Amino acid sequence: MSELLKVNNLDVRFDTARGVLHAVKGVSFDLKPGESLGIVGESGSGKTVLSRATMGLLTMSTAKKSGSVKLNDVELTDLSRSDLRSKWGTEMAIVFQDPMTALNPVRRIGDQIAEGPRIRLGMSKKDAKQRAIELLKMVQIAEPEKVLKKFPLQLSGGMRQRVMIAIAIACNPEILFADEPTTALDVTVQAQILGLISSLRKQLNMSLVLVTHDLGVVAGHTDKIAVMYAGEIVEMAPTKELFSNVRMPYTEALLNSIPRITNQSGIRLPVIEGRLPDPTLPQNGCGFSARCKYATEKCHTERPQLVDGGNGHMYRCFFPLGVNK
Amino acid sequence: MFKKLSLFSKLSVLWVGLMFFFAIAGRLLPIADPTEFFEVQGAGLFSPGHILGTDMNGYDLFANIVVGSRYSLLIAIFSVGFGSLIGGILGIAAGYLRGKTDYVLSVLFNIFLSIPNLILSLVLIAVLATSSDPNEPASETRRIIVIIISLTIVIIPILGRITRGATLAWTSSEFVVAAKSMGMKDMMIIRRHIVPNVLPSIYAVAFLAVGIVIVVEGSLSLLGIGVGNGTSWGSMLARAQGDLEYAPIALFVPLTFLGLTVIACNQVGDALRQRLDSRESKL
Repeated sequence: MSELLKVNNLDVRFDTARGVLHAVKGVSFDLKPGESLGIVGESGSGKTVLSRATMGLLTMSTAKKSGSVKLNDVELTDLSRSDLRSKWGTEMAIVFQDPMTALNPVRRIGDQIAEGPRIRLGMSKKDAKQRAIELLKMVQIAEPEKVLKKFPLQLSGGMRQRVMIAIAIACNPEILFADEPTTALDVTVQAQILGLISSLRKQLNMSLVLVTHDLGVVAGHTDKIAVMYAGEIVEMAPTKELFSNVRMPYTEALLNSIPRITNQSGIRLPVIEGRLPDPTLPQNGCGFSARCKYATEKCHTERPQLVDGGNGHMYRCFFPLGVNK
Repeated sequence: MFKKLSLFSKLSVLWVGLMFFFAIAGRLLPIADPTEFFEVQGAGLFSPGHILGTDMNGYDLFANIVVGSRYSLLIAIFSVGFGSLIGGILGIAAGYLRGKTDYVLSVLFNIFLSIPNLILSLVLIAVLATSSDPNEPASETRRIIVIIISLTIVIIPILGRITRGATLAWTSSEFVVAAKSMGMKDMMIIRRHIVPNVLPSIYAVAFLAVGIVIVVEGSLSLLGIGVGNGTSWGSMLARAQGDLEYAPIALFVPLTFLGLTVIACNQVGDALRQRLDSRESKL
């Protein structure tokens, strides 16, 4: 199968008052039709910037982007704004993190969902309303006719996120970006929303890029996982392979810091000491070296490259775990 | 909807409504001829035949209030209407487009805000509201149009700044990015997402501005450059200002109407903003 989305060496810098902030450093990944990719990393690792830069949604004048993003063999970075706009919604769509702010507070739910089909697909008012009801049913909202007439503040957080998903899939996109879709929600609702996104992906044969800071979230819902650290992909592998053969010490540290029900009580939860390196400073050596318990002199001075360890498993480390050299 | 308002808001709506009724139906009402000299001069409130009394010239004050409401409200509504429309459009353009447009418009707003509005009106009226024959004053219509234009210029930067601020806040909100990510065009986003959110603040300020404009129109009349000879509330004040010792009522009556209308307009604006703003929970 050929690739639907090919991101090659994508690089994003911001001009800030403190200097150039290197948010995304030469990231490459690709996605087949119907495939799902989870992008995991802690706050500030560049996940959100990566997903928005891939879509071309970074419009601030301070953002400088280089590299290539190909969707169906069309180079997106060369497109004019209006050509790019014609791809948004119909070929790629995004679900935002906070459903409180991503819905317009003064417009009815029905109008907001019908907007895409009306304007992008040229449906009549009546058809668009039908489509809105259909979409609300797809995202499993009971009594869609009633919900259409409501304002966002009359819905719960989980309902709002369902509405956001309905808006995003309204024009049948080929790729859905979900930017931390469950972070603002209750734990009980999180599972439902993730399940919903997964089942919609299969039902509509969409590709999915799921951005999150929670490894547990991506575990059951994506085919591949990319772990990001300080703007770089540090490990990327098919989900099963990643969880059974962790190579990168950072991923191992992330996994160790997930609380487990089998943990003995009274024992401190392992945390990753230290912080992300300052993204405005040039970086020598591995970005994780300052926090890595296996780090040697070489890690502090030389930059590791992304190497292929077989089975589609890529990692960026001189001393990968479980590999003897 | 009316029932849910507070007593103060209800009274304000009724008052504004009554003033509009006066302005529209004015001369059809069974009132005295506003230009007729009556024999009782400086009569107090509730005098027989003159419910609000008469001034030193013997004009019936109630009749003059009713007829004067027409120009007072006409000037206020047109100048605020045009001012909010133009100011709103410019403000949204500045706030949404940012960059050079924003810079140029903001500087212009600030320049116009720094000119005292009375002086601006004075200059405009002196230059524009003159007739070709120096011995004959310019026609009343022309004068009113120039007054409306000059007051519109006063309103534009006030509304422009408010709208720009509100637009700036909403443009960076996530639902605008979300709308963009669905492939909406800028005009569509402005119409469907920015305008409905910005409108409540425009309403509130516009009603406030109606009050300001009614007062400014009064000041212009007091300076002798408003509409002439007792045909607006302001010019009633101007005509009576010399008679404070003999017929204070001739000043108090138009002042009371002017003040109450300004307060009522502010209150209606506030109530309207609250009703229109669905973000404020109605639980």
